[in-house]
Amino acid sequence: MSGYFNSYPFAAVVGQEQAKRAILVALVNPKAGGLLISGVTGTAKSVLVRGAATLSGNRKLLNLPLNVTEDMLFGSIDLEYAVSKGERRFEPGLLGRADGNIIYIDEVNLLRPELLTAVLDISMAGENRVERDGISFTHKAEYAVIGTMDPHEGVLPGHLLDRFGMFVETENLKEKEQRKEIMQRLLDYAKDPAAFRIKYEEETEQLMAQVARARELLSHVEISEAMMELAVQYCTQAFCAGHRADLYLLETARAIAALAERNYILPKDMEEAALYVLPHRMRKPPEPQQEEEQPPAEPEEQEENDPPEDDNNNEVDENQDDLIPPPPQPETNDGENEPEENRDEEEDNKPSEQDPHHNAPREDKVDGIDMHFPMPKMVLDMGRDQVNRKGSGKRSLTKTDLKQGRYVRAELPKNKVDDLAFDATIRAAAPYQRHRPKNACAINIQQSDLRQRVREKRIGTTFLFVVDASGSMGAQERMRAVKGAIFAMLQEAYQKRDKVGMIAFRRKVAEELLPITRSVDLAQKRLAELPTGGKTPLAEGLAQAFITLDMLKRKEPDAEPVLVLVTDGRANSVVQEGEDPVESAIKLAKQIRKAKITSVVIDTETDFIKLGVARQVAAEMGANYYKLKQLSQGDILHIVRNIGV
Amino acid sequence: MKRRGVYPFTAIVGQEDMKLSLILNVINPALGGVLIKGEKGTAKSTAVRALAELLPAMEAVKGCRFHCDPAQESFLCDDCTDKFRKGELQDTETLKMRVVELPVSATEDRVVGTLDVEYAIKNGEKKFEPGLLALANRNILYVDEINLLDDHVVDVLLDAAAMGVNTVEREGVSYSHPARFVLVGTMNPEEGDIRPQLLDRFALSVTVTGEHDRENRKEVIKRRLAYEADPEGFIDSYGKEQEELAGKIVAAGKLLPEVTVADSMLDKVADLAIDLGVDGHRSDITLIKTAMTMAAFRGSSTVETEDLKIAARLALPHRMRRRPFEDGTLDMDKVLSVLEG
Repeated sequence: MSGYFNSYPFAAVVGQEQAKRAILVALVNPKAGGLLISGVTGTAKSVLVRGAATLSGNRKLLNLPLNVTEDMLFGSIDLEYAVSKGERRFEPGLLGRADGNIIYIDEVNLLRPELLTAVLDISMAGENRVERDGISFTHKAEYAVIGTMDPHEGVLPGHLLDRFGMFVETENLKEKEQRKEIMQRLLDYAKDPAAFRIKYEEETEQLMAQVARARELLSHVEISEAMMELAVQYCTQAFCAGHRADLYLLETARAIAALAERNYILPKDMEEAALYVLPHRMRKPPEPQQEEEQPPAEPEEQEENDPPEDDNNNEVDENQDDLIPPPPQPETNDGENEPEENRDEEEDNKPSEQDPHHNAPREDKVDGIDMHFPMPKMVLDMGRDQVNRKGSGKRSLTKTDLKQGRYVRAELPKNKVDDLAFDATIRAAAPYQRHRPKNACAINIQQSDLRQRVREKRIGTTFLFVVDASGSMGAQERMRAVKGAIFAMLQEAYQKRDKVGMIAFRRKVAEELLPITRSVDLAQKRLAELPTGGKTPLAEGLAQAFITLDMLKRKEPDAEPVLVLVTDGRANSVVQEGEDPVESAIKLAKQIRKAKITSVVIDTETDFIKLGVARQVAAEMGANYYKLKQLSQGDILHIVRNIGV
Repeated sequence: MKRRGVYPFTAIVGQEDMKLSLILNVINPALGGVLIKGEKGTAKSTAVRALAELLPAMEAVKGCRFHCDPAQESFLCDDCTDKFRKGELQDTETLKMRVVELPVSATEDRVVGTLDVEYAIKNGEKKFEPGLLALANRNILYVDEINLLDDHVVDVLLDAAAMGVNTVEREGVSYSHPARFVLVGTMNPEEGDIRPQLLDRFALSVTVTGEHDRENRKEVIKRRLAYEADPEGFIDSYGKEQEELAGKIVAAGKLLPEVTVADSMLDKVADLAIDLGVDGHRSDITLIKTAMTMAAFRGSSTVETEDLKIAARLALPHRMRRRPFEDGTLDMDKVLSVLEG
C-alpha cells in the first residue's frame, strides 16, 4: 500500500476549481506554505488530495495518520541496529521521510494540537532536531503540509491556521447538471476503475507535465519590486499580522506564474494568490472607538484566535466583509467560484426558526431558539502548561487514569510500572543486548529498561449553564437571544467534546434541568423547552450551581468546570424572608470565587436604567464578564481560569 | 463444546428496514455500512450477529493476513502486490465473509495494530502485529454502542473508513494495509449522541422500535421461547428460509454489476438533493448505489423509482441535519413528490 495509485483521478473531479489550483500551487512550490482545505463532508476534499498524489512526480505524498506516536513522527533509535551492534543510531520517522516531499493530514483538526504545531513549526524551520531515547540528531526536513478538515468538527485555532500558507474551501455544488455529472462519473469509476482512469489519462499526464515544468521554472520566476509592493499593499489592506503573509503571497504568485509557463509575475497572479493566501488571515481593522464599556476582565490580544470562516459564524464574517475591502477578484472566466455566492447559499441553508409558542400564556412562556445567533468564539485559558513539542513539559491534560486514552509517549517510571510501553522498553534495552546474557530471546530486558506509557485523554471542560428564567428575561424576546447564545455555546461544547449541565432559576427555586452529561443533544432539548416567568432568585441559582459543581469536583477531581451564568441581574426573590436578594447573591458569588471555580457572566440587562447587579456579581465571582450584545456581535468569549483570592 | 447456533436472521419478526439495510450491505459491500438506532431489546445485535450466517463466500489470497481479493489488484497489501508483480497470485482460498466485532473498550493499538512485542523480544526485529482493522478488511466491522466509543478510536476509524487503507505509524512500526470494511454500528440514542462526521460515514441509517402490534409481539415471544427450548431444532426449522435468502443475496451480488441507471433517475436524485439542501455529494451517490443494490435484490437490472423511494428512506434521514443536535427530519412527502414528479 505504498501510494495512492488506485485513486480517483484529480482531473475527473467536477468543479472545486479553487481547491484544484491551490493544490497545484502546493505541489509546485513548498515555499507557498502548504495548504488547508476546509469543507463540509462529501465535497471531494480528500479525493482531490489523494488524486494529486499522482501528479506530484518525484515528490511523494506521505500520509500522516491520526494514530501517529511521537517516536514514529520525529524518529527514534534504530532498534534492530542497536540490538545487533550495541550502538545507538538514529532511525528517521515520518518527518525524516518527508524531507523534500509533502505531508498529507486528513482531518487535520482532529490531530493532537501539539503534534500539529510541531509538524508545522518544523516545516517552517526546515529541520528536525530530535532529542529522545538517548539519541541526539538533527536532520533536514523541508516539506509542505496539505491538510483537510470539516469545520463541523471544530476549527483550528488562529495561530495554527496562520501557519498554513494557503486556505481554500470546497463547496457544495448546487447545479443539477454538475451534481448529475458527479454521480455519473462516480458510478463509472465504481464500475471499472481501471477503464475510468484510462479515460482521464491524457488530462492527468498533461497536469503532471505542467507541474513538472513549473517546478523547473520556479526558481527562474523573478519577483519584481512592483510585485513586492503589491504584496505589501494586499496584506496591509487585509490587516494581516506579521510578515508571513507577504512572503506566502509572493511564493504562491510565483508558482502560479510558473504554472502558466512565465518567468515573471503578473498582477493577476497576485490577485489569484490573494484568494488562497489572505482569506484565513484577514483581521478586523482596529476600531476607532469603543462605544461599549470595557468589561472588567479585559480579554487579552485576540487576533490570534480568529477561527476560519465557516457557516457557523456567518454574521461575523459578514461583519468583517463590511469592514475590510475584499481582495480584488481575479477576472477569471469561471464565475461559479465567487465566495459571495457561497455565503448566500449557506445563508439559505440556515433553518428559519419560527417561534411556535408565541401565544403561550403571559406568566409562563417558552421562547424559541434564535438559530441565527453566531457561534461565539470561545477561548479557554485554564492556565495549563502548554506542551512544548519535544520537551517533557508537564501536561495537566494528561490523565494518569489507568490504560485509558491515547498512548502519546513513554517515560521513565516514577512508581511501579502498571502500563508498560513495550516499544519504548525494547528500545531502551536494545543498545545493551550485546553485553547481556541471552536466554533464548534476542532481547534481555532488565528492570532499568522499563518504561511507562503516558496516555492522554482529551478531557473536555464541563460547562454548567446557570440560566435566569424569570419573567423579566422573557421580555422583548430576550430569551430567544439567550437561548440562541447558549445553543451556540452548546455546539462549541460538542465540538470540543465537553460535558454540559444546566440549571434554571425562576420564581423561588433553582431547578437542575440537566445533570452534568455528555449528551449535548439532551441539553439542547431541555433548553428549547425552558419556560420563563416569575421572579428572579439569583442566589438560589448560584447556590444550586455551587452544590452541583462541588459534587462534580468530588467525583472527578480532574474536572475543570466552567460556570456560565446568564442573567439580567434583577434579583428580587429569596427563599428566606428578610434577606436581601442582591446581597445574598453577592455572598454566594464570593464563595464561588473562593472555591476557584472558573466562571463567566453573560449579562442580558438592556433596560434603560441599568442596575448593574450582574456586573457586580461577576466582579465578586472573579468571573469573565460579557454582555449578550457583545457576543451577538461576534466578540470572543475569553474564559480565563479563576485563580481564586 | 459445541457452539450454540445463533438465532436465525429470517426468524426475526418485523424490523423490515433494519433487515433490508443489512442485506443490501452484504450484497454490495461498497455501499458504506448502516447505523441502527433504537432502544434496548429491539433485536439490533441479534440481527447483526445473525447476519453472519448469511454471508457469502469470497476468494482470498491464501495465507494473506488481510485476505486480499486477488481480482482487485488496486487493493492488495504489500505482500500480495509483490506476488502480483511476480505473477504468483494464483494460490487462493475460499473464505466466508465474517462479522468482526469491535468492543467499545477496544484500545487504539488493538484497533489499528501495533508492534509485535513477542517477536521483537525473541528476534530483536520489528514486525507489525495486525489489529482489528486488518481482520475487518473485506468483512463486516460491527461496533455495538458506537456512540460510546472513545473519541480517538472514532478518529482512527473515520480515517480508515475514508481511505480504505489503515496507515499505522506507532510504537515503532510504520505500516499500511487495505482496510475496506462494511461498518455496522448500533446505538441507543438515549445514551449520547454520535458525531456528525461518523454519522455521515454510514450509507444507511434505520431506527428500530419495539413491535407495537400485539400479534407480532406475541410472535416475538413465541419464537424466542422455541429457540431457547431447542436451538438446534429451531434453527433447522428455518433452514429453508435461510438458504433461500442466502441464495438471493448471492444472486443479487452477481447481478449488481449489470444494473444500469437511466439518466432520468439521476435527474430525480439531483432534484431531490437540491430540494432538500443536503450537504456535500455523498448522499447523492449513496442514494444511487442503494437503489442499484435494491434493484439487484429484486432481481432486476434497471433502477426504478420504487428503488429510489426505498433508498431515500434508508439513506437520507441521517443526512438531514445541518448542525450538530438539530433534529433533522426527512420530509417523506416531499421526497415522494420529487421522485414521482
